[in-house]
Amino acid sequence: MTDHLTTLERAVAEELQTAHGLDAETAARRAADMTPRLSPRFSTWVRRELTILQRRERRRHRAETPRHRATPGGREFQRFSLNVRLQHAVMALSVIFLILTGLPLKFSDLGVSKAIISLFGGPDVSPIVHRVAASLLIAVGIWHLVYIAATREGRATFLLLLPRPQDAKDAWQQIRYFLGRTEQRPRFDKFSYVEKFDYWAVYWGMVIMIGSGTVLWFTNQFLKVFPKWFTDIAKEAHSDEALLATLAIVVWHFYNVHFNPHKFPMNRTFITGRISEQEMMEEHPREWERITSGAPLGPADSRPVEPQGGAQ
Amino acid sequence: MKRLTLLATAALASGAAAQPGPAPTPAPPLAVEVRQCGICHGRPEFKQVDPDGTVRTLWVDEGQLATSVHAKWHCIDCHADVDRIPHPPRLALVNCQRCHFPGNPVGAPEEVNYEGYVKSVHGRLRQAGNAKAPACQDCHGGHGVRKPSDAASLVHPLHLPQTCGRCHVRVFAEYTTSAHGVSLLEKGNREAPSCSSCHGEHGILPPKENASAVSATHIPETCSNCHGMTEFNLRYGIPINPVRTFRHTFHGIANELGSVRVANCASCHTAHNILPATDPRSTVNPANIPATCGKVGCHPGANANYARGRFHIDPSSRDAGIIYWVALFFKILTVSTLAALGAHIVLDLVKKLRHRQGATVRD
Repeated sequence: MTDHLTTLERAVAEELQTAHGLDAETAARRAADMTPRLSPRFSTWVRRELTILQRRERRRHRAETPRHRATPGGREFQRFSLNVRLQHAVMALSVIFLILTGLPLKFSDLGVSKAIISLFGGPDVSPIVHRVAASLLIAVGIWHLVYIAATREGRATFLLLLPRPQDAKDAWQQIRYFLGRTEQRPRFDKFSYVEKFDYWAVYWGMVIMIGSGTVLWFTNQFLKVFPKWFTDIAKEAHSDEALLATLAIVVWHFYNVHFNPHKFPMNRTFITGRISEQEMMEEHPREWERITSGAPLGPADSRPVEPQGGAQ
Repeated sequence: MKRLTLLATAALASGAAAQPGPAPTPAPPLAVEVRQCGICHGRPEFKQVDPDGTVRTLWVDEGQLATSVHAKWHCIDCHADVDRIPHPPRLALVNCQRCHFPGNPVGAPEEVNYEGYVKSVHGRLRQAGNAKAPACQDCHGGHGVRKPSDAASLVHPLHLPQTCGRCHVRVFAEYTTSAHGVSLLEKGNREAPSCSSCHGEHGILPPKENASAVSATHIPETCSNCHGMTEFNLRYGIPINPVRTFRHTFHGIANELGSVRVANCASCHTAHNILPATDPRSTVNPANIPATCGKVGCHPGANANYARGRFHIDPSSRDAGIIYWVALFFKILTVSTLAALGAHIVLDLVKKLRHRQGATVRD
């Protein structure tokens, strides 16, 4: 109906509909009728006024309805088990300490580096903190390998995390969607290609960091067998991969889970393990269909649960 | 005598308040006119046998005195405790501070750093009663004081090693055969460091003290005065900046963060016996690396593997060998990964913001 209208005419028509209660057809006709007669300066003014009005309206609307939270009485889904959340928590904690006691060494000429290191007990104690955190990271790595090998849930989750050709297709479609080439968003299962990338990036990071870190931890022992340049490679790789991993976490991971406009400022799923049905439908439609189709749930599938009072 | 009185008058006239040092006090009336010191001290054979049997010459070379900066002064201007002839057998040590204090009226150089000296290891030992610790005249000379810039001065950079070496014999021996010593003393290269270039002049502190210019925490900074400059390093065939590259090793980082346990420049290169790694006598010669790294408290049991690789690595330079390629790999990986992820984030952000807006204002 409104296809033949210009942007301004459409905006006016919409305003006539909402503010003056006209039906769509009348509003469109009136809008088309009145706008050509407006001087360019006046139409600019109208447009700006409308924008301000609409913005105010949107703000009110947003304040009234919390975004992306379970509507009262709405279903929630248990996306991450306690086991997985604990793995994530231990890893996050150890990585935070590793970054705090590690990156200052890479940027040792900055004043803030000195302050952070002295916070961790100075150059004699902070290496111990780094090694304790590293031990935690190694432990959580082993824990995870046992989890994906020895538990039903872990095995099924791992299978869902394996890269498939569909991920490349999804990524391509997502880019096309970003660029406005398609209105159809890719329909993800439990793990989108973004989440799979995060998962496998951790493997790469763990191999490089734990491997090179072990060489640096036991330099004297390694030098009994290997030449000095071997430990030099370990040092360079440890330092460079540390920066890459930190940037990937802080920029990429934090944006995707917390800082994007749909989740800002924080997504609580890493604590509660739950997501709302609305989020489930938007972000994991394929999984949602599978779960709600009545077919028996797999060990890795998110389970519908009653909303918790405490969890918002 | 006339001059001394003149000096005292001038000092009084200049105002007592402006004098931090002890002003030259008017000498008590002399029993004799002390003008004739040369009658005894002018003779080279004038000697004294001390109770312990050592023979001390009491000859004052008037020629030496005449070419010194103090040529215009009389003996009693410095030896102020001589008030009669013959004078007591042992005179007090001359106090240079009689004239060399800020605001002194006789035009004596004021930049003399007494405070530094008093706090220095030499001054402290001297005050503690160690007669072997040097006072001013031990380094600057007694009767033959010359400006440090004077080539004949005892503290001229070319002479300083010998002057310090009178006490620090072993250090002198090490220094003279080191790259620095050979360059300065044999080749006469004034760019090469003399003792004071690293240790400072009057305020010399033991290396164990943090404030010392050669303490573990300050030595990289001290060495970087010369070796921190690329042109300087290139002039002496050092292709990398040794201080900057040190700063990026674990040794250098811990040093920067205040660790005194970790290796600093001198730990590997030694303090005085510094030689290029190509020299077989050098502690950083590949053949000597195991012994150098294997020092007690460092890497006990170090073997030849410690020498198999480069030192002072600059990962951004092709000279770094394999480290250059590792660093390049990670540089490319980091930049390309973050570019891709960043682009994805920007596209996602734009779409999400548009989407929110799109509900009301359509473009």
